Amino acid sequence: MENILEVKDLKVSFHTYAGEVQAVRGVSFDLKKGEVLAIVGESGCGKSVTSQTIMRLIPSPPSIIKEGSILFDKKIDLVQLTLKEMESIRGSEIGMIFQDPMTSLNPTMTIGKQITEGLVRHQGLSKEKAQKEAIELLSLVGIPRPETRIKQYPHEFSGGMRQRVMIAISLACRPKLLIADEPTTALDVTIQAQIIDLLKDLQEKIGSSIIIITHNLGVVADIAQRVVVMYAGKIVEQGTVDDIFYRAQHPYTWGLLHSILRLDDDEKSELVPIEGMPPDLLAPPQGCAFAARCPHAMNICLNEDPQTQIIQDEHSMACWLMDKRMRTEIR
Amino acid sequence: MPEVRDNLFIPVTKQADQQEKITRPSITYWQDARRRLKKNKFAMAGFYFLLGITLFAILGPFLQKNGYDVQHLTARNEMPNSTFWFGTDEFGRDLWVRLWWGTRISLFIGIMAALMDLLIGVLYGGISAYYGGKIDDMMQRFIEVVYSIPYLLITVLLIVMMGSGIWTIVFAYGITGWISMARLVRGQVLSLKEQEYVLAATSLGASPWRIITKHLIPNALSFIIIQITFTIPQAIFTEAFLSFLGLGVKVPLASLGMLLSDGVGSMRVYPWRLLFPALIFSLMMVSFNLLGDGLRDALDPKFRK
Amino acid sequence: MYRFILRRFCYMLITFWMIVTVTFVLMHNLPGDPFANSEKLSTQQRALLAKEYGLDQPISVQYKDYLINIAKGDLGVSFAYPTRRVTEIIKQSFPASAELGIESIIFSVLIGLILGITAALKHNKSWDYGAMFIAIVGVSIPSFVLGPILQYLVGVKWGILPAALWDGPANRVLPALTLSFMTIAITARMMRTSMLDVLHSDYIKTARSKGLSQFSIILKHTLRNAILPIVTVLGPITVNVITGTLVVEQIFAIPGLGKYFVQAVYSNDYTLIMGLTIFYSLLLIVVMFLTDIAYGFIDPRIRLAKGRN
Repeated sequence: MENILEVKDLKVSFHTYAGEVQAVRGVSFDLKKGEVLAIVGESGCGKSVTSQTIMRLIPSPPSIIKEGSILFDKKIDLVQLTLKEMESIRGSEIGMIFQDPMTSLNPTMTIGKQITEGLVRHQGLSKEKAQKEAIELLSLVGIPRPETRIKQYPHEFSGGMRQRVMIAISLACRPKLLIADEPTTALDVTIQAQIIDLLKDLQEKIGSSIIIITHNLGVVADIAQRVVVMYAGKIVEQGTVDDIFYRAQHPYTWGLLHSILRLDDDEKSELVPIEGMPPDLLAPPQGCAFAARCPHAMNICLNEDPQTQIIQDEHSMACWLMDKRMRTEIR
Repeated sequence: MPEVRDNLFIPVTKQADQQEKITRPSITYWQDARRRLKKNKFAMAGFYFLLGITLFAILGPFLQKNGYDVQHLTARNEMPNSTFWFGTDEFGRDLWVRLWWGTRISLFIGIMAALMDLLIGVLYGGISAYYGGKIDDMMQRFIEVVYSIPYLLITVLLIVMMGSGIWTIVFAYGITGWISMARLVRGQVLSLKEQEYVLAATSLGASPWRIITKHLIPNALSFIIIQITFTIPQAIFTEAFLSFLGLGVKVPLASLGMLLSDGVGSMRVYPWRLLFPALIFSLMMVSFNLLGDGLRDALDPKFRK
Repeated sequence: MYRFILRRFCYMLITFWMIVTVTFVLMHNLPGDPFANSEKLSTQQRALLAKEYGLDQPISVQYKDYLINIAKGDLGVSFAYPTRRVTEIIKQSFPASAELGIESIIFSVLIGLILGITAALKHNKSWDYGAMFIAIVGVSIPSFVLGPILQYLVGVKWGILPAALWDGPANRVLPALTLSFMTIAITARMMRTSMLDVLHSDYIKTARSKGLSQFSIILKHTLRNAILPIVTVLGPITVNVITGTLVVEQIFAIPGLGKYFVQAVYSNDYTLIMGLTIFYSLLLIVVMFLTDIAYGFIDPRIRLAKGRN
């Protein structure tokens, strides 16, 4: 399968009055056409910054992309584009859904207008045609009576309905890539499932590739084919859903898995929180960023940052526990 | 590859508290705000100017032997010179002394206004929002009424009633000036009231007084501080305005407003009589505003990044 | 929506009634009586005058009469100008004040909006600092200092514009400018804050994620939403203009209401003070009522929410 997106060694920093915060510290991953990739991790691990950097939505200053490339559709490096060029890609080639549907829609503009804006901008549709298209989109995302709803304002919609509208907006021009930044975090649990089902359904219909950012592993298992686990601005492990859920190798991934409830577990398992706090990215620790919280930390972890190594096919991770010397010495 | 040494792969033994160790000491909200404020050159300039003006207001009159009301009939309308540093007015009174006395009075009025804000405005707003319902409704109606009479008009009415003077101006502020503070605190408390920790405190049986003073007001504190840096100049301004209308402090006492309106009257012939009070007055206003803006940027979460 | 307007209207009436009452109580607790100043009057003459003005009646009767008169639109007879009714004075001198006020409001809102928008779009750049500095200077120099300086420089020394009086369009410029200084600052600051709020909001991010150009985002999404709250500054601006006219009319010798008010204070003309206070308050209440309604109409959130309950 062809790659729609190739992120290579991406480094993003923020300049604050306290110093340089290294939010993303060398992230590389690929996304295949038609694939759903999940990026998981705690708050502040850099997953949102990564996704918004792909969209080039993070204002500069204070942020800068220090290094790396984001190759889109095999030919365009998004990092090198001017803002003007990026504008023609946003919304048409890449769509985005945000976390909080309550604040992500313009309160003083009708839903219809907010959906058609992108269509008029990118596809040059006339108002009437765009209007028709918007009605179609609304029914596609499962909003009843789209003809009347289109003339209404955001506050007349519930949270779940607003997120559906957001999805309609982001998919209006049938983008090749959809980035969903915690699309269910702000919603009720019952609505969460509906939105995920809708995304799955639409993904099949439209065939967009999806990057879904979340800290909800349930969502990951439900929708994604591959998972990227991020910690302190780096990828610590990535692989297929099965790799991550059944053959996880990184202590942080173990920690994440232990901190959720599992129904399929026969053994009496208890929830184990990951102790401690993520490190301060103003001054990242010298060794492995997770070492301070890692129950298996070794001397080397405190001094040397582990390299990413491939375990099998698509499964890779960065941890000294997998070092060959480790195997020979301890086991 | 790092040099391989055997002990590299030995698990580290950790103390229990080590996991909680964070590389940078966490700083509190107020420490952070202070750091932000210090970074703001304009706000700090405002702060130091105010400090300087206050110092002069306290010490300035002592640097000259004249009282603010002593008339030197042989030295009327003098230019600034070595005896009278800022010159004299038409009664031969030392303008240096009068200027710093005036600053004292203006600052005093400003500080009294700030106290009123704290005593009346904060409590009024806090109580109104905390109890809500009927009480809030009634208290808001009252505020609306007072708000509909321009503040200056009420002050003028009171001056007509009680005669002019510092205390009338302060009293007038006590009746009406704290309204914006009360509104602000009410808004803040209303939104804070919904927060879980306040609900928790309520359900644990904390008394209303305790919740208002221990939970709500400390959390609204940053907004209160910002408001006060705007209250003080506003009160000083009002006094100046009243002085111009001849309703300010009583002669021979001087306030900045009075010196200004005296100065305006004689500016074509004796420009220095306007220059110095105008300079100090405007500097004071600009400083308060810069400091207020800086505080807002530093304290208001909305403006923080 | 209609119920919302109706409710606001009732509030307005109640507020107005309370103001009338408060003013009445204040004025009737004054030390001495309005004729105390005229030493020439004998006790009998005073009694006669008191009778004429109804001051010998019990206070409840006076209050009742006063309310009835106000309902009829009568604010009584001036003490200082016994031949003139307060309403007459208002009718005669308010137009000049109103014109001055409206001119200065238009002027200050226009300049204030431009300054505020510039400052927000160039946030933390020199344009921002420059615009905000102008705004701060505006609130730092009292109009009674600025007015005479302008009057002297522009009017007398350079002779570009008339220095005083109220004869032609050129006479309007200096007073309106003086009066605008404060309100420009108020509008500019409010607009800046409002713009910054909107610029940092999530829906602007959404708009950017749609690929709209910077220009159309500012025009269609930012400005519209940022200007809405600006309607609410009309209240404070009106207060400023009202109090400003007291001084500005004095400086530029404009035959307006503010001048009368100041004179009334000097001469203890109680009916005139009372009448003008009530009039000014009514003006302010009406402006705030209209602002509320206008805001309700422009903002769909309020328009629809208020329409339902």
